[in-house]
Amino acid sequence: MLEELLEDIAQKNGLREVNTNLKLIAGIGAIILCLISGSFIPPLFIAILLGGAVIYLARVDMKTYAELFILPLMFAFMSIAGIILIRGGTEIFWQWEGIEGFAVSITRESINEGFLVFCRVLGGISALCFLSLTTPMTDIFNAFRQFRIPDEVIDLMMIIYRTIFILMDQVIQIYHAQVMRLGYSRYRESIRSFALLCGAAFIASWDAGDDLVRAMDARCYSGKFAAFGESRPAEPVQVFVVVSFLALSSAVVIISGSVTLI
Amino acid sequence: MSSIILEARDIRYRYPRGMEAIRGISFHIRKKEKIALVGPNGAGKSTLLMMLNGMVRPDTGMMLFDNQPVLYDPASLRILRKRVGFVLQNPDRQIIAPTVYQDVAFGPTNLGNNETEVREAVTRALRHVGLEGFERRPPHQLSGGEKKRVAIAGVLAMDPDVLVLDEPTSGLDPSGSEDIIELLDELNHEGKTIIISTHDVELAYPWADRAILMKSGRILQEDIPEVAFGNYESVRSAHLSLPILLELHRELQERGFPVQEKKPRTILDVMHCIEQLVQKPSGRKGPGRITVVNVDGDDLDTLPGWRSSRGSTAIGAMGTRAKQYAEKSGVRLDFTYGVIDKCILKALLGKDTMILTTGSMVARVYQRVNNYGTESGVHIPVLPFVSEKNDADENTDGPS
Repeated sequence: MLEELLEDIAQKNGLREVNTNLKLIAGIGAIILCLISGSFIPPLFIAILLGGAVIYLARVDMKTYAELFILPLMFAFMSIAGIILIRGGTEIFWQWEGIEGFAVSITRESINEGFLVFCRVLGGISALCFLSLTTPMTDIFNAFRQFRIPDEVIDLMMIIYRTIFILMDQVIQIYHAQVMRLGYSRYRESIRSFALLCGAAFIASWDAGDDLVRAMDARCYSGKFAAFGESRPAEPVQVFVVVSFLALSSAVVIISGSVTLI
Repeated sequence: MSSIILEARDIRYRYPRGMEAIRGISFHIRKKEKIALVGPNGAGKSTLLMMLNGMVRPDTGMMLFDNQPVLYDPASLRILRKRVGFVLQNPDRQIIAPTVYQDVAFGPTNLGNNETEVREAVTRALRHVGLEGFERRPPHQLSGGEKKRVAIAGVLAMDPDVLVLDEPTSGLDPSGSEDIIELLDELNHEGKTIIISTHDVELAYPWADRAILMKSGRILQEDIPEVAFGNYESVRSAHLSLPILLELHRELQERGFPVQEKKPRTILDVMHCIEQLVQKPSGRKGPGRITVVNVDGDDLDTLPGWRSSRGSTAIGAMGTRAKQYAEKSGVRLDFTYGVIDKCILKALLGKDTMILTTGSMVARVYQRVNNYGTESGVHIPVLPFVSEKNDADENTDGPS
């Protein structure tokens, strides 16, 4: 399953031991730069650098990495098609006015904007992938604690995170049980089966919640959750790499200004 | 006899749905006892276990801990639950936190210990169950046996006097079950009272000091395992099977063989029985020696040399750290479960054996072998491991 694959990689990758805050700064900084950039060049630049970091430094398998892009890019293509057709503009390449009061057109401006959005998506995904592939969720919880996010919120996040995998396991088991008895062989049946699956998952999670309370009670729960504050210091070389990555990207943002594709 | 730590006086409990789960049960458990609670599904084992740490409150009757009635206000319950650790059947339901460290630290943190104390408690507990280095791992990436160990470590970190485990071996492979049972033995040896529920008669029979057979919310029989499991009628009506050793003993008896009245607990006992029946082959040499290596204390540098000079010595490991040591230094183990008995069996064949063990279990080896010696009259020498030079003239075999 995807979520376990991501966790597996995050636990074992080559950048696992790098200070969490540095990775967070690099990832979040990259996202912000992608968003404020007026040109398509900086997001592409960031995507290439972070992609290289994930493949060569974190040593993530290239095929696995590429597969992670498929799903978000499919969404991106759909919305970009919309942007290109609907945005409008002055320099029209093609247009269609089939229905009264509704026209679609492809213009220079719409193509430029569509491509910019596409590149931002690409940059954003690569920044998110960089974070999720190099930093296990548990390290991020620690970082949250350092950032003074209230303990209650973090405790809740940790319990939810832990429970997701248990619930997911159960959903998969129920799903397999249904598939084995041809639960998804026809359209009507698959709808029925899916409804049953949701109901069963709800009941299972309710039960798991009851058990959770009992398990916490049995271990003297009094509102405290242990922190696992094993923070690795940021090494000067790593700080230098992250700072120069962000500086370089910022420079690209400034230099490229609002350069467009066509 | 040591003093009573847990006691139930005519307790009854009815589920909100109306089914009566516990129908008048009285029993007591002494300090440092190993108790196996056995019975069919739905006999009320889990409910009874949950009463031991106050998770379920009996409708009538009284539970006593350390000769004091159990009180059900939050403060008293906290103290009770610190002293009676409970391990659920499904480790997934017991493990709460997203990393092993945080989960094991859960109890000590909530008991109000400071961070250094928590860290020490976690390190100790993980060392105990053999999961050092697992601190950062998320629980969902662990195997069933490892999860079980994390769950046990989470309870051990609170340093309870009594450990209650609901079906500790369910869902584990045979060697995983044996490891868990061995771990429980080790803990018991360190002075903890251990109560388990199980269906696995073969594991419970040689392990337990006392067995409680339950059926339909009542106690069917409560006695030492030889008696509790020896009664064919009550074993059948508790939907269990007779331990294979007892069945063998019964068949031998029914066929008129003059076997001793004392029922066998282990293979060793059975062999003793059989050897009394059959003429021993003449000209057999004396028993082999058992060398005890303490992995916590002894100087282990000369061990590889010692081993290579005695090629045929069979090696067994007892205790988590001994097994870890064997794995780390590439020692191929011949026995990992019931090690002392297996080494005695080998020794009776005239073969030398070696037991790797943790410091706390060394005395146990001497004790067991000496007990066997007084029972059977066969004197097996047990030697502590000493480095190569002065090993030859060493000839200790403990008091007998």
